[in-house]
Amino acid sequence: MKGPKMPTSRFFENLATLFNPTTVAVIGASDNPGKLGYHVMKSLTQGAFPGTLVPVNPGAAAILGIEAYPAIEAYPGTVELAIVVLPALSVPPVLDECIRKGVNGIVLITAGFKEIDDPRGGELQAELARTASEAELPVIGPNTFGMVNLHRSLNASFTPEFSWVRKGGISLVSQSGGISHLMAFLAMSGDVGMSKIVGLGNRMNVDFAEMFTYLVSDPNTDVIALYLEGLDDPRKLMEAAKAHRGAKPAVAYKTGSAVTGDRASLSHTGSMAGNQEVYRGALKQAGILPLESAEELLDAARALAMCPLPKGPRIAVLSGQAGPGMAACDLCEAQGLEIAVFQPETQNVINELLPPLALRTNPVDMGPAWYKASAIEGIIRAVMTDDQVDALLILMMYASANREAPAAISPLLLEWKQKKPVVSCLVSPPGIWDDAIRTLENGSALMNCRTPERAALAAASLWKYGEMIKNLEAWSKEEHRRQKTGDRTRSKA
Amino acid sequence: MKEAQSIIEKALKEGRTSLSEYESKNLLNLYGIPVTREVLVRDRGEFSKALAEIGYPLVIKACSPQVTHKTERNLVRVDLRNVEEAGAAFEDLTSRMEGENKTLLVQEMVRGSRELVVGMTRDPQFGPCVMFGLGGIYTEILRDVSFRVAPLEKRDALQMTQEIRGRKILESVRGMPPADMETLCRILLQVGQIGMEHGAIKEIDINPLILSGSRPVAVDALVILSESTVSP
Repeated sequence: MKGPKMPTSRFFENLATLFNPTTVAVIGASDNPGKLGYHVMKSLTQGAFPGTLVPVNPGAAAILGIEAYPAIEAYPGTVELAIVVLPALSVPPVLDECIRKGVNGIVLITAGFKEIDDPRGGELQAELARTASEAELPVIGPNTFGMVNLHRSLNASFTPEFSWVRKGGISLVSQSGGISHLMAFLAMSGDVGMSKIVGLGNRMNVDFAEMFTYLVSDPNTDVIALYLEGLDDPRKLMEAAKAHRGAKPAVAYKTGSAVTGDRASLSHTGSMAGNQEVYRGALKQAGILPLESAEELLDAARALAMCPLPKGPRIAVLSGQAGPGMAACDLCEAQGLEIAVFQPETQNVINELLPPLALRTNPVDMGPAWYKASAIEGIIRAVMTDDQVDALLILMMYASANREAPAAISPLLLEWKQKKPVVSCLVSPPGIWDDAIRTLENGSALMNCRTPERAALAAASLWKYGEMIKNLEAWSKEEHRRQKTGDRTRSKA
Repeated sequence: MKEAQSIIEKALKEGRTSLSEYESKNLLNLYGIPVTREVLVRDRGEFSKALAEIGYPLVIKACSPQVTHKTERNLVRVDLRNVEEAGAAFEDLTSRMEGENKTLLVQEMVRGSRELVVGMTRDPQFGPCVMFGLGGIYTEILRDVSFRVAPLEKRDALQMTQEIRGRKILESVRGMPPADMETLCRILLQVGQIGMEHGAIKEIDINPLILSGSRPVAVDALVILSESTVSP
């Protein structure tokens, strides 16, 4: 088995510049909406990239009103990033030109390489890879939608709407363009803040290992989220991730579980070692939490960006209605969390505030306290300081009578700032509670989810991630820093 | 490890694709994995000596390289309590192994109702991987197992034992003591190590690994060799 070979530090400096360029050239820029070069130009202009754009097209004086050049070398200034949208066969000479021009990185959107049936596609890609790697030049792609760095207002993709995603701390590295688009749209509708969205495409010389290493050092990335299908050399990613285990939360969603164990195998072990089972184990060893869906990946990433890690598995479930509380409890238990047993003092407070007709032990049905926001506040206050509780789930569905409840509990939660993680499921018809929830989230008071099940899963992810990386040196350092600075959350994702 | 290598080479030279139970356990034992006390016997004389050495109750199994599925072929006799029972089992087993190398294994009877499985397999991409789970007949029925990629750290070993649904089997249950986790973790680490050191080993099954009180002991083991020897 060959050992993983990582690129040079010069390569990684170039990769950092690729994501934060001052001047971007679009080779194959076009005014024709029937060409990808048009959509890439639209992404850059509509995304309000603050640097200089250099459209390259030998047949046009200007593209979208911006002065164009016949070749990248005709532009007099320096260019850090070149986005290439040319047919596959014209790419090799353009790569040479880019190297002569001294660009720091390339986003190669062009398809028609390793992914096609014709073996010449693979040969062409191998040739480009040799040239680029010799020049220590990172190339994202080929066969990718591109990438987005929201902190630089850089939309280097063919989908202008990626710029609608709010700026935040989660970086997504994906092996699928489709999943990247899906996650970006989920982020938009869920108001999730993202840092970078990167489509790796055919992974010519920027693979998961290289991206992981870069993102660990990227100050604008708080949580690393990966979407994987299958890797040629998975040990390389594992080694790269392991080197930084616990330093930055990392989560992954891996598909392709249909490949099962070797049925012909003579041993039990061989017949049960499916691709998915081995990946799950390997990811955990590398400090990357494996998850089961795109939605769960995004929720877990958001939770890790917005909440501290619980010290233990004991969760308090406080619900405005019994049903959502039950749904959350079922999932919490299935995921390995424990429904906390309150201390007697806590239970006494709850018993005083709630009439005996409600569920007063954990899960607590706060329904009868709808009209008395002070009672809801009193229950939360007692539970959050209970030593038997490691995390809180607060669930409340809107009803006309409890309209003011979120506003009433806000001061307490904002002041407490998640000394223990608080995951909520506050759901109202559009518009009614949106501002209150945003205020709570912006104030690091909680993380809100759209369903009780998602809230429970998010809370479970926090616990599982903490269990996976606990007692690691890198994590201890980060915990120490956070305790010293009182910074319990990472960002508003 | 040199002694382990010579066990493997002997089998390969004889054109075999697996080690016998006896050889498999010898190899595991070289890596500090606890195995049953056992003696290989080829005739009546050796058999009598083995009975005295192992003591009752004991187990007698067919142990020829041709026999990889002893239980399915009804070639295992357990809980033999005296010389009469043992002698009858000897006659019975040897008569069932017509035309085969009639080697038997006389082994101590390990008591314990908690059966685990530990294994190693070579993933085409990850290389040697270690498996842990519920053993015995439950391995195939429940498929309650977890995997890690070799080499393992102790934390990996601990976490993979906590990952199976039946993890409570390792705790103090029904008057049984909790499992010796130090030894269990060492076994998992060492099985990974064997995979790293011996490219010729394709797969390992330790099934069952029985908790004798708190101590895990390899009661049966199978080492599969790859026909083409590759470096790990």
